Amino acid sequence: MIFENMGFYFREALLSFRRSALMSIATILSTTTILIIVGMFLLISLNSNLFLENLESQLEIIVYLKDNISKAELNTLEGSFNSIDGIKEAKFVSKEEAYQRLSKDLGEQKDILSAIEINPLPASFEIQVKDPKMIEQIANQITKFEKVEEVEYGRETAERLLNFTYLFRRAGLLVLALLIFASILIISNIIKITVYSRRSEIEIMSLVGANSQFIKWPFIIEGFLQGFISAVLSIIILYYFYFFAINKMRQAIPFLPLVVDIIDLLPIGIAIALLGSLVGILGSMFSVGKYLDV
Amino acid sequence: MIRMFHVYKNYPNKIQALRDINIHIKKGEFIFLVGPTGAGKSTLLKLIYRGIVPTKGQVIVDGINIARLKPGYIPYLRRNIGIVFQDFKLLYDRTVYENISFGLKAIGATNFEIKQQVKKVLDLVGLEHKRKMKPHLLSGGEQQKLCIARAIANEPLILLTDEPTGNLDPYNSWEIMKLLFHINIRGTTILMASHDKLMVDKAKKRVVRLDQGRIIEDTQRGVY
Repeated sequence: MIFENMGFYFREALLSFRRSALMSIATILSTTTILIIVGMFLLISLNSNLFLENLESQLEIIVYLKDNISKAELNTLEGSFNSIDGIKEAKFVSKEEAYQRLSKDLGEQKDILSAIEINPLPASFEIQVKDPKMIEQIANQITKFEKVEEVEYGRETAERLLNFTYLFRRAGLLVLALLIFASILIISNIIKITVYSRRSEIEIMSLVGANSQFIKWPFIIEGFLQGFISAVLSIIILYYFYFFAINKMRQAIPFLPLVVDIIDLLPIGIAIALLGSLVGILGSMFSVGKYLDV
Repeated sequence: MIRMFHVYKNYPNKIQALRDINIHIKKGEFIFLVGPTGAGKSTLLKLIYRGIVPTKGQVIVDGINIARLKPGYIPYLRRNIGIVFQDFKLLYDRTVYENISFGLKAIGATNFEIKQQVKKVLDLVGLEHKRKMKPHLLSGGEQQKLCIARAIANEPLILLTDEPTGNLDPYNSWEIMKLLFHINIRGTTILMASHDKLMVDKAKKRVVRLDQGRIIEDTQRGVY
């Protein structure tokens, strides 16, 4: 029965769209505005996350080696590092390379190095980890290796940074949840108003003996269309706004990490389309149900 | 066709709308429900189409106990009952034709059946030539005729009319009455709540008088 009448329900939904064009447009515009706000927040969250990941990936462990290490021991050590689960990359920095780096860092003051006869700097490994939360555990593991003089990973800075990113992410999730909750309430209320404006139609249908499915379906389809059209509109607006903003930001801060890949942005588009359509459907379903009890 | 046994209806604000109503309405009868405003006429009509359920007592409509009727079956009860309201309850964004056809579509009629049936009832009420018009372009009398056309389109067993002439001048009122008599002659049981003394007296039909929720008089060929 439902599917037999689907064509009719669709026609009815489109007709009522046309009949109450002003109301429909107002609903779509308001819903679009709400979805744009949600979308903007999602885009900001996505980029903040990328920024935090970038920041976290800069955390590294520096392993200073004893001076008397042989070539064979060095190879064994490097092999051992690479076998530790959680290490992304272990880069060897020789005594000479360390000296050159220091000399470069000192710039005009590099002459002070001439006062030192031998190279006092130790050879080291610069180790990047896959998960910044593992940094302490891995550092402790490395300390136990022979020929390792000292392990340094900026414990306090790392802890502070990780605490900050943890809190920032949690706060972001909380704000996102509140925003989505608020948008669901606002959109379903907007839809409730459109249904309210047609409550007499629902009442009449009920009085002439239409069953609840017959009454509900056109409203559900209309709610879905309103939500979906709003979602598409907001996605288009967000797309142009986002790339415009990104270009401007790149001009201002050239090395800022930003999400530009469409594949990475796709989940946001899908989330907005789902949010718009689902709230449209559920909002109409519950609102019509309220006026059905004649 | 309709039986009520010791029916009481109380509203949440403790108003007793109906008290100990006992009535038997036979198939094909034409009955006027009269009485002052607030006497319980509209409440009695609402009980029949299951707009409300009785607080106490039994209401049997065409063999169905409406108090025990599950919500999913209400539409099927209503398909046997046509309802005409004083305030018309028309859909003003649809044409005369669509106002009738959507009710038929709602009960699963085919497009062919809808076309035939709408034409038949519009011919009966004399609005066939205005089928493409929107209701707001019709006069009060014509709008009420459209309501009647919609109510009888699926050929219900019972027609409930709540002061259908309340907003009309005497000429249009009599036109509506003639139409209702015609429908009644074809076998439809009609219950009409009315304040229209002229029409009630002229019709010489069964009159049930309500006052403060009770039936105080039930007369064959009665007057207002």
